[in-house]
Amino acid sequence: MQFLYFDPGLGAMIVQAIVAAVAGVLLFTKNIVYKIKIIFGIKAKEDVTDSIDIDDNTSTSNDD
Amino acid sequence: MTTLVHQMMIKNNTHEASFRDPSGSLFYDQDVLRRSIQPIYFSQYVALKERGFFDSLIQKKLLIPHTETSVSYEEIIITPEKIPFVTNPYEWSFEQYKQAALLTLKIQKYALSKGFILKDASAYNITFHKGKPILIDTLSFDFYKENTPWRAYKQFITHFLGPLVLSKYHGAEMLKMMQTYIDGLPVQLISSLLPSKTRLSSILYPNIHLLAKLEHKYNNDYKNEAKSGNLSKKAHENILTSLYDYISKLKQKKQSEWVDYYSKTNYNSEAFLNKKKLVKDWILQLETNSLIDLGGNDGTFARTVIEHVSNILVTDIDSNAIDLNYKQVRENKELNLLPFVCDILQPSAGIGFCNTERESLIKRLINFSPDVTLALALIHHLTLSGNVPFEKSAAFFALFSKNLIIEFPKREDSWVESLLIRKREFINHFDFYDQDNFEAKFGIYFILIHKVRIEGTHRILYLYKKK
Repeated sequence: MQFLYFDPGLGAMIVQAIVAAVAGVLLFTKNIVYKIKIIFGIKAKEDVTDSIDIDDNTSTSNDD
Repeated sequence: MTTLVHQMMIKNNTHEASFRDPSGSLFYDQDVLRRSIQPIYFSQYVALKERGFFDSLIQKKLLIPHTETSVSYEEIIITPEKIPFVTNPYEWSFEQYKQAALLTLKIQKYALSKGFILKDASAYNITFHKGKPILIDTLSFDFYKENTPWRAYKQFITHFLGPLVLSKYHGAEMLKMMQTYIDGLPVQLISSLLPSKTRLSSILYPNIHLLAKLEHKYNNDYKNEAKSGNLSKKAHENILTSLYDYISKLKQKKQSEWVDYYSKTNYNSEAFLNKKKLVKDWILQLETNSLIDLGGNDGTFARTVIEHVSNILVTDIDSNAIDLNYKQVRENKELNLLPFVCDILQPSAGIGFCNTERESLIKRLINFSPDVTLALALIHHLTLSGNVPFEKSAAFFALFSKNLIIEFPKREDSWVESLLIRKREFINHFDFYDQDNFEAKFGIYFILIHKVRIEGTHRILYLYKKK
C-alpha cells in the first residue's frame, strides 16, 4: 500500500475503469474520424490545439 | 545546540498552508521560504532527483525550480525559487483556471511515462508565476505502481473539472465556490448543479454523475480495498487524454459588463492619452519596482510601464477582463504581469484551518507591499456603489500602499452622474461626494504630492505618499 494522507474515495477508484473504457472508445472514434478527414483532404482544426504530451527533446513545454 | 535552536526555529516558522502532507513542510528561515523533507519521503525524493525527473520538469518550466540546501539523515532541506505573489484558485479567471487544470493533466501524464504519479491534484498546488501556471508542490509525486488507478482522480474532478464545467453552464462566478470548499466542490453538489442534459455527455456522465453515484454508494465502505480495482497504464492515459481534450475546448458562459469599458467611457481619445502619460510619468519618477493596479480592467494602464516595473499585479472584479488580460500575457509572453480577479468590496478572506491556511488578500498585499498603488476610475464605484465613506477607502489603501495614484471623478462626470441618479430619493445622502471631502479624508492617511486635472475630463489625478 502506498502511503497517502487523504482518502481517495473507493467509488472514485472503481469508477476509473468505466471512465477509461468510455475514454478509450471516444479517443478511438476521434482517431478514426481524423483519419477519414485526412483521406478526404479535410484539414482538421484540432491539429493546432496543444497536446497533453510533453516532448522530451524540447526545452520548454509550458509555452502555449 | 545550534541545530536544536535551528529546529526549534523551524517549528515556530512553519508556513500556515503546509501541514497536510507528512512528506515535508514549508518553513520560513528568516525571510526565505524553504522546504523540509522528512525521511518518510526520502526514497521518492532521491528517485525523482536521480532519475532526472525534477530537472526535466524544471527545464520545461512545469515545476518551480529549487536548490538543495542541506542533507542529513533526519531531514533534507530544499529552497524553491521565490514567488513574489501567490494567487489562489478562487482568484483566477476561467482561462487561468483552465490552464492550471491542463497543466496538472500534462504533468500527470508525463510523470506516468517516467514511472511516477501525482499523488495529489489540488488546485492549490498550482499558481501563476512569470506569466504561466506552474506546479509549486515539489513533493506531489510518488512512485507509480503498475495497474493501479489514479488516487488523485477524485481530487482532480472536485478541484478542476467540477468548477470549470459549472462555469461553462453558470458563468465564472462559480469558480468562487472554491472559497467555501477548500477541499474541492463535493461531487454530489457538482452533479446536482449541472443541467440534466449533461447526463448524456460521454465525458460528464462518467466523470461526474456516475462518480457522484458510486461515491455515495461506497461512502461507508472504507474497508473494501480489494474492490478498488485495476487500471492499466494505457487506460490511465486514456482518462488523462480525454479529460485534456474536453477541458481544452471548454468555454464559459459569457456575461460581462466591463469588457468594452474603454469604448464606452466618456473620454475622447486625447483625454485618455493625457491620463496615460501622466500615470506613466509619475510611476517612472517614483522609480517603481512593484505596482498594483486595482480595478485595472484588461491591464491597459499597467502595460504602459511594463518595461520599467519588475512586478505588476492587475486586479479587476470582472473575470472576463482578467481573461482578456491573461490572454495578452500569454501572447506577448509577459513575465512580470499577474492578473487576478478581485472584488475590492469583498477581497478574498483567509480560509482553511485557523483561517490561515490560505491567506487573505489584504495580508498578501501587505507582504507584497507595492511601491505604487494605482486606483483609476475606482473611487466613485467604492463610494457610490459600495457606499464606502472616503475615510474608510483611504484607510484601506493606506494598509498596503507606499504611494497612491488615485483618480477622482467630480460630480459633473457622466459616470458619477449616472451612479448618483440611481440613488433616487436618497441622492442627498451622497452630498458629501466632492473634491474637498475627498482631499480632507485622504489627508488623514496620506501626504499630497501632486494634483492635476486630466484635460478634457471632469477628473483629477492625485499622487499621494503614505504618512
